[in-house]
Amino acid sequence: MNSLRNMSWSLILTWAGLTVIGLVGIYSATQGPVSQFLPTYIQENFFKQFVWIGLSLIIMFGIQFVAPRTFQEASYLLYILGLLIMIFTLLFGVEVNGARSWISIGPVRFQVSELMKVATILAVANYLTSRRDITAENLKSATIAIVLILIPTGLVIMQNDMGTAIVFLALIPVMLFWSGLPYGISLFMISPAIIGYLSVINWYWGLISTILITIIIFFIQKRSWLSFATFMLGILIIIGVQVALFQVLQPHQRARIEAFTNPSFDPRGAGWNVIQAKTAIGSGGLYGKGFLQGTQTQLRFLPEQWTDFIFCVIGEEFGFIGSATVIILFIFLILKLLNAAGSHKHPFAQLVIVGVTAVLFIHFFINVGSASALLPVIGLPLPFVSYGGSAFLTDTLMLAICLNLDFYKRQFSIYV
Amino acid sequence: MRPGTNDRVRTSIRVLQFVMLGLCLIVLGRVFQLQILDFDTYEPISKSNALRQEFVSPARGLIFDRNGTLLVDNEPIYSITIKPAKFDMDKIPLLASIVGVPDSVVQRKVKEAQHFSWYRSSRLFTEVNFDVFSKIQENIWRLPGIGHQIESKRHYPTPTNISHILGYLREASEKDYEKYPDLRLGDKIGKSGLEQVYQEYLRGKLGTEYIRVNALGQSMGSYNNGELDTPPEKGNDIMTTLDTDLQITAEKLMKGKRGSVVAMDPNDGSILAMVSSPQYDIRKLSGRIDSDYWKSINADTTNPLYNRAISSQKPPGSTFKPLMALIGLHLGIITPETVINNPGYFYLGRRYHDHAPAGKYKLRKAIELSSNTYFFTVMYRLIRNGDFNKWHNLAQDFGLGRQNYIDLPSETRGIIPDSSYMNNAFGKGKWGYGDLMSMGIGQGMVSVSPLQMALVTSEIGNGGYWVQPHVVKAIRKNDGSIVQTKASKHKIDWVDSNDVQVVKDGMRRVITEGTGRWYAKIKDVTICGKTGTAQNPHGEDHSWFIAFAPMDHPKIAVAALVENAGYGSLTAAPIASLVIEKYLKGKIERQRIYDMMLNFTYKDKKKEESSEDE
Repeated sequence: MNSLRNMSWSLILTWAGLTVIGLVGIYSATQGPVSQFLPTYIQENFFKQFVWIGLSLIIMFGIQFVAPRTFQEASYLLYILGLLIMIFTLLFGVEVNGARSWISIGPVRFQVSELMKVATILAVANYLTSRRDITAENLKSATIAIVLILIPTGLVIMQNDMGTAIVFLALIPVMLFWSGLPYGISLFMISPAIIGYLSVINWYWGLISTILITIIIFFIQKRSWLSFATFMLGILIIIGVQVALFQVLQPHQRARIEAFTNPSFDPRGAGWNVIQAKTAIGSGGLYGKGFLQGTQTQLRFLPEQWTDFIFCVIGEEFGFIGSATVIILFIFLILKLLNAAGSHKHPFAQLVIVGVTAVLFIHFFINVGSASALLPVIGLPLPFVSYGGSAFLTDTLMLAICLNLDFYKRQFSIYV
Repeated sequence: MRPGTNDRVRTSIRVLQFVMLGLCLIVLGRVFQLQILDFDTYEPISKSNALRQEFVSPARGLIFDRNGTLLVDNEPIYSITIKPAKFDMDKIPLLASIVGVPDSVVQRKVKEAQHFSWYRSSRLFTEVNFDVFSKIQENIWRLPGIGHQIESKRHYPTPTNISHILGYLREASEKDYEKYPDLRLGDKIGKSGLEQVYQEYLRGKLGTEYIRVNALGQSMGSYNNGELDTPPEKGNDIMTTLDTDLQITAEKLMKGKRGSVVAMDPNDGSILAMVSSPQYDIRKLSGRIDSDYWKSINADTTNPLYNRAISSQKPPGSTFKPLMALIGLHLGIITPETVINNPGYFYLGRRYHDHAPAGKYKLRKAIELSSNTYFFTVMYRLIRNGDFNKWHNLAQDFGLGRQNYIDLPSETRGIIPDSSYMNNAFGKGKWGYGDLMSMGIGQGMVSVSPLQMALVTSEIGNGGYWVQPHVVKAIRKNDGSIVQTKASKHKIDWVDSNDVQVVKDGMRRVITEGTGRWYAKIKDVTICGKTGTAQNPHGEDHSWFIAFAPMDHPKIAVAALVENAGYGSLTAAPIASLVIEKYLKGKIERQRIYDMMLNFTYKDKKKEESSEDE
């Protein structure tokens, strides 16, 4: 039998730490002096979060009694079930903030795409577990894995939830890379993200990065067709971004991008959120303005400050000390999870943990990156910190599965 | 497990850890940059974000009369404002029902506001009554884009008008904004009268308030309990020299006439009453300016905005003769006993008619009967002696032909010609006796303002002292200290007191036996005066009267001018003497004359009267 000492208590403590910081932030964002400007249903978020934390604790505890192979066995079933519910949501769901990704169950609203992340990770991990023959020449299983991810991604896009779509897409390179996808091809897969990001800032940065990535891929993979493809893809992305920026995108979408590259261009419009978020974080200084003392927060200068912009609340009221604590907790969480994946003997467990890490990391990076104007504003919650039932529950569930896999790593590896 | 898989896993961990850690550190670095390196950039932004500086208009200073009666104070007015960009057109019926006007009116006003600016706040309704104002306040949440504000306007508690002295306020012009940098758009400043001259004192100091606001612009109370706020500083109060009762009487007397009355204290030059008629209604120019009224007074041919008392210049006619007498005596052209024969006319190239009966004249009689021949002779001798420019200088010493810097705007200099003036007007060597003679009897090119004549009258009355004409005697600062304005006074050095006595005697005889005996005589008051009928080439003669009383130690000097009213003795004299009576006796006993002046109407035809001056 496993001793409770084998439980990864440091991960649980990290989870608890982030959750408490989140509660402080949500309290400040909804219960402070700001509350007079908020409708009651948002003020209630602080108390609702306790309910979600309670539910999550039960799930975290309960998951530990599940045999690890059950996750593998149930993965396809969960995946298909998830897809069906998502289609159902698409047809009969509730629209919140423009995204039709919620279903109502009695008084509770739930975002199914969150749970779909777990199902997708499990299914893809299960599929790739037995197929580690990915080479540059044989990409069949890689393609199938990609399709497994692209189906929910497509549904999420149809639900008009771009943030979650990005999270799904980010799973592709990470999980394939772990399953043996050659380095060059992995780099090829993430090159669109890098080139695209830099081209938005400036087209010649995109071009420089394209050339660099092409050269690196050639040296790693020594396949000229791959290098050529990389280069052509890069050029296409640069052109595509330019066309998108000036032809395809709706004015409000373009304004959002414009706001990212040049916030002062329209300080009262799309740049508003960016400027206010930066101002909130920047004015926090080293020690912050103090709990409930943040003017940007309490005077309601931040949008969605209990979810997407909660990092600004912490940054403003607790300064660099507060925001660095959050970042360091995430660094610890990510490195610790990856170590757990590396030390696991079972490839399914490895892939699941890596997938979960990737999802948590992308959430963290995009959330904090948006708040600090490193990235264009993409609405994604900060795991364990932001208010949000479905997200908190899902993130905790993912972490709980990782804990479970890590806890039972000896027993589970026997079946390999 | 395939061989090599473990290696691959180990590398994969390292690669993933490296990439994710790297990106995390970039985020950490970014936060460090924002919070530590750029703190000084963002901290002020957050401060100004959360704080709104609001200006609080100070209460404008009050204006009092010489006895402490309040002439001008402030009264709140309530306005409804609109920001058209935020306004919801569907709310027009609601707004209209609150204000109590038809929808179409609101619609038109909203259109006007949109035309002015979509984003700036403009006044939709001004001076709404308090009921409407409070209903708007109650319903403000239902009326996006609608705001309200309390402003103040000038209020005049006394039944006087005093429009030309007090002046009106209007919205500051672009030039004013350059002059006073702390003016805000829409602020009103004094544009005429005392409001203009004492603008700097009356306006006070703008206060500032720091109000905490949220992103929606909603106020959240004062910042730091108002520690940084500076309260507005009320404008300084102004104490004028006006006598309200006298002013009321003078205004009543001048009603329906064109002209002016100036009553002055001859001892210090303080203005007791000053009326320019027709007046404009000062109350209609307070607060919201009625644009129709504004247009009508600007278009009015009688020019009610024009302050005749200090801005108009008219020949003084025979009222110039007392001064002429003093000049003649000083220059040694005449003595009080000099006898000049009046054959009924004065002849110099042509006959100048004289109303005064033929006979031998000494100075006192010449003033009493206003003999033109006598003063033509004085002028003739003066010019013959080459003293024309000296005459100009001596008249200037009395305050004619120059500004006396009364504390009111647009004071005229009047005209007292000298040789260079004549050269300019006619060309060098192209003018002679014929052009100058009439100046000796206050005709021709000589022209003066009623204020100047009141000053000359004061100077004769007080025995030859120039006094500074002024309306404001003191300014009361906010700390209670009172700053007196300079009431300067100096002896006109060439004036001999014996000469003055002779002239006073003559002016006394005007009242007792001469042209003033009908309408200027006041029981128990030794009033001295002089009538004048200034010929007017454009129409009916102008009626003048100057007077002071009591004779020995005068307390009041008055100059009255009624344009196109004919003989001075018939219109100006009763008005001026009634003003003196009111001032010295506190009431008017000559009710018949008073009523006559109230019922005065311009006559189309010159009345056939015989025994008049000139």
